[in-house]
Amino acid sequence: MTFMLTCPICGRRELHEFLCGGQERGPRPPQEGLSAEAHFRYAQFRSIPPAPQPEWWYHGQGCGVWFKATRNPATNREERPGG
Amino acid sequence: MAMLRDYLRPTRLWAPAPIKPHYQVVIIGGGIHGLATAYFLAKTHGIRDVAVLERHYIGFGGSGRNTAIVRANQRTAASVRLYDEGLKLWPVLVDELDFNLMFFNSGNLNLAHSEAAVAAFRMAIGTANFLGIRSELLDPLQCRELIPALDISDRPEHPIQAGMYHPPGGTLRHDAVVWALAKGAAAHGVHIHQGVEVTGIDTDGGRVTGVQTNRGALQCRQLGIMAGGYGTALCTLIGLELPVHPLTIQAMVTQPLKPFLNHVVSSGAYHVYATQTLKGEIATGAHMDPQVNYTTDPTARYFKHQAEALTDFMPVLKDVKFMRTWAGLADMTPDMAPIMDANVGFDGLYLDVGWGYFGFKAGPIAGKYLAEMIARDQIPEIISPFGLGRFLENRYAGETAGAMKYGHWDS
Repeated sequence: MTFMLTCPICGRRELHEFLCGGQERGPRPPQEGLSAEAHFRYAQFRSIPPAPQPEWWYHGQGCGVWFKATRNPATNREERPGG
Repeated sequence: MAMLRDYLRPTRLWAPAPIKPHYQVVIIGGGIHGLATAYFLAKTHGIRDVAVLERHYIGFGGSGRNTAIVRANQRTAASVRLYDEGLKLWPVLVDELDFNLMFFNSGNLNLAHSEAAVAAFRMAIGTANFLGIRSELLDPLQCRELIPALDISDRPEHPIQAGMYHPPGGTLRHDAVVWALAKGAAAHGVHIHQGVEVTGIDTDGGRVTGVQTNRGALQCRQLGIMAGGYGTALCTLIGLELPVHPLTIQAMVTQPLKPFLNHVVSSGAYHVYATQTLKGEIATGAHMDPQVNYTTDPTARYFKHQAEALTDFMPVLKDVKFMRTWAGLADMTPDMAPIMDANVGFDGLYLDVGWGYFGFKAGPIAGKYLAEMIARDQIPEIISPFGLGRFLENRYAGETAGAMKYGHWDS
């Protein structure tokens, strides 16, 4: 299903101008003393509730900016401040 | 006449049962996996105090939305062993459940359009042949002998270089599988509760004790999460993280045509697979939306892709109309192999998730071994390569090197 996504530079654009960079999971854990298990947990394990989540998106067919947006996997729509 | 009337009277395949406050085993998900597990628990292991909870109606999810293709020509031996046993189980189930599952043993033809794809075929064929499963490499002329509608000239965007022909594969009627398993499970005493949504999972001292639902609380000693793509969401109820992305995958059918496509045909380069159903429609699909998503809404954009792809290598389909489209969830793991594990995070919690687009093929056979896992509380050897722990130990299953990788989904 397609939807509109808000690019911070270009405004609302159609989904297919963008690439999804996946869930925002905070900074990479420090490499120093990182166990294999902790590395794999960071790299692959996710919690994906059917609720709004912060994500990275790339406006590849537009201005080329990487930005954060909030989208709800239960509705597959962007959650915009103020609706 | 009385006998004829009795024969023609519609009969229920299973009787509704009252919801009990306690069951030995509760299975979340009334699809093929959950129903098969319940069926084998009751039939093979004598555990009849089992409830299957389904949020919508049985077969609402992936079980009723897949394109019902079965095969055993995956990349790794661990997978091929399981899928091969699954393939051999279908005719047994037709007899055992006394239900026509419409198993059409048509064989699968996968097309290669590059040297890399031919190399992947050789590896998959080697694995299959080593395990005694028929799978062979065909040249383009042999491909056209199987499917005369294929354009094997240099005209298409991706000319056909070779085919991987796997005669034991084919298609089934997926709804029939759901209904037959429900009928079989209920006949052995399993309770099937539709319209029951799990809203919470109760634990006590590291053990699963029951579930909260829209119809009240149910206690249980063992809990199976077998809800396909929705399993990822259910696991968040107990804070269990998984290496799984639930993605929407789309399929569509054309108007019915006279029989011309007698095999399942698929192509990784064109990102498409197609079968002709027994009704005559061309059932086709493969596209996955790349962002995680629990909706089942198709995207209009992909009719165009599907039409372009199909008509490029099978030009006879030009001007044929698509009739309807739908979508389901594919819960993708990084190695494209499923996760089946026992006592994950909590004692008494059994996990069956991450089947991606392979869930239908292995439904009953997975149910057979999941039932054994729950009944004996130990992991059967054949499904032991599919534990969750492999992702933490860098022991990925390696299915991503398979010939049938339909796309770029990892985000």
